[in-house]
Amino acid sequence: MTQKKKVAIFSFTCDEGCSIYLIEIFNYKLMEWLNKIELKYFLSMKDKVEIKDFDVVLVEGVISSEKELEDIKKIRDNTKVLIAMGTCAITGQPSGQRNNFTNEQKERIKGEIEKYKMLPKCLTLGEAVKVDDEIPGCPIDDKKFIEVFEKYLN
Amino acid sequence: MHTCDLDISINKLSKIEGHADLDITIRDGKVENVDLRVMENQRFFGEAVKGKSYNSVPQLVSRICGTCSIAHLTGCIEAVEKTLGIRPSAQTMLMRKLTMYSLMIRDHALHLYFFVLPDLYGVDSALDLADDKKELIHEALHVKESGNNLSNFIAGRAVHAPFEAVGGFSHIPDPAMKGGVIEELRSIRPFVLNLIKIFYDCPWKLERKTNFVALATDDFSFLEGVIKTSDADLIEEKDFWNHLHSVVVPYSQASGFEFEGREYMVGALARLNLNREKLHPDTKRDAAEYLKVFPSQNIYHNNLAQAIEILHSIDHAIELLENNDFVKEEIIKPERLSGEGVGVIEAPRGTLYYWLDIKDGKINYVNLVIPTAQNLINMREDIRQMVPEFIGQGEDAIRKEAEKIIRAYDPCMSCASHFLRINWI
Repeated sequence: MTQKKKVAIFSFTCDEGCSIYLIEIFNYKLMEWLNKIELKYFLSMKDKVEIKDFDVVLVEGVISSEKELEDIKKIRDNTKVLIAMGTCAITGQPSGQRNNFTNEQKERIKGEIEKYKMLPKCLTLGEAVKVDDEIPGCPIDDKKFIEVFEKYLN
Repeated sequence: MHTCDLDISINKLSKIEGHADLDITIRDGKVENVDLRVMENQRFFGEAVKGKSYNSVPQLVSRICGTCSIAHLTGCIEAVEKTLGIRPSAQTMLMRKLTMYSLMIRDHALHLYFFVLPDLYGVDSALDLADDKKELIHEALHVKESGNNLSNFIAGRAVHAPFEAVGGFSHIPDPAMKGGVIEELRSIRPFVLNLIKIFYDCPWKLERKTNFVALATDDFSFLEGVIKTSDADLIEEKDFWNHLHSVVVPYSQASGFEFEGREYMVGALARLNLNREKLHPDTKRDAAEYLKVFPSQNIYHNNLAQAIEILHSIDHAIELLENNDFVKEEIIKPERLSGEGVGVIEAPRGTLYYWLDIKDGKINYVNLVIPTAQNLINMREDIRQMVPEFIGQGEDAIRKEAEKIIRAYDPCMSCASHFLRINWI
């Protein structure tokens, strides 16, 4: 028997709509996938584990703080495949909406950006680290998710 | 007598929506401080909505939260309509009720099966139940899927529903699909009754006197009514803000709220305590034994209340679908393009309040009050009460109980972190 793929799902700055939608896809795919995957990290469903030795990682959201940038680099170093999940991770929008603010608006949020050590600009996943594949949609599309994810399960 | 000093920290609580940390400081056996900090990075919705057109802003605020996006969409639409003098048609209101029911079924089921059951059965994840309690996981997936299919049928999708809009729905449901949707809803009733029984039998107990607050709707449809409290206050939707004041939580991305100077609780338990006589007759018949539990001050009965609300959502949705056909309608246009208005609905986690100011069709500002922010102080007081009882069992027991209490509220940190620094004139 081949070994089960170690899969992890991480949420960075966003509404977590893609992982919620993924749980809807689980309604009809979870039992089948559990024969092929071991879900290692998914805070929406289980307690956290060490970030180490993943086969496939799905990431939603934009990278908006120094801490998040550090975390995503660590995740990248510990997975074979990294997939950007949803429009935020791929294009930076809508969760990176502050990137499009007027100068006046940027001035108004400056205090918080500094206080919480947020990056001057929200980054797409591809701007932060190397990305192997992507699943577009806001939230992700069922068919596209299944098509891309299943490529990495064999 | 236990006299000890403990500093308990939980970094990134799991099986809740969004990110939060918890610190409990115990000195000489007494709780000195409970800090529940929301650790979501700001996405600055308060700024992002400014200048956006009135009909695009509901889809924008839907992105505050993937979990309860339908609640934000619906609450914001109501506020826009009240502001601009739009009276939605009877069919639109009916479809909004069905959309809210689809959300309640999915969202409560996610919380109960995936977040709470692992604690009840002593495992880390619902996935660990896939061998031992395979039936229950199958039931969970079916219940969620039927809610998801009802969302698809009425509103186009469960997350960021595309058809629900200011003034009406952009699409009407396909009549050919209706029979299948009704049949599927009917098929999950036994599973939901099973779930209700599980939470009725659950021995967890933490009772503390608090004030419950909820919008009491005539048909328990989560949409329209008067705000009721367990202190017997009756408050119009538009006056709700006048009774609240915000409480700063240090180092958190969210502040809490008090109602008339005291902590309070919103959500399923508040709704069942204040409005259970309005549940659907079929729900009242089949859950009669379980409904005797209410009114209850046991926070863990929030789980039981959610399970009963799933049954009500199924029963009323079936009735509405069986007795109504949908016809194409025009989207209703605004009477005016400037003004201020309030929309209040019951989101899965409790009362959701939107206050808009619109000028020439563009958003000037939005203020919101989120259920989880209203429950933050209540959670803190519950944890404070729990600690002395468990202190003899050590740090791990306190940690586990604290997580269980927080999860009982089904908190949503993605929501709680927004719109909290608006300065009021």
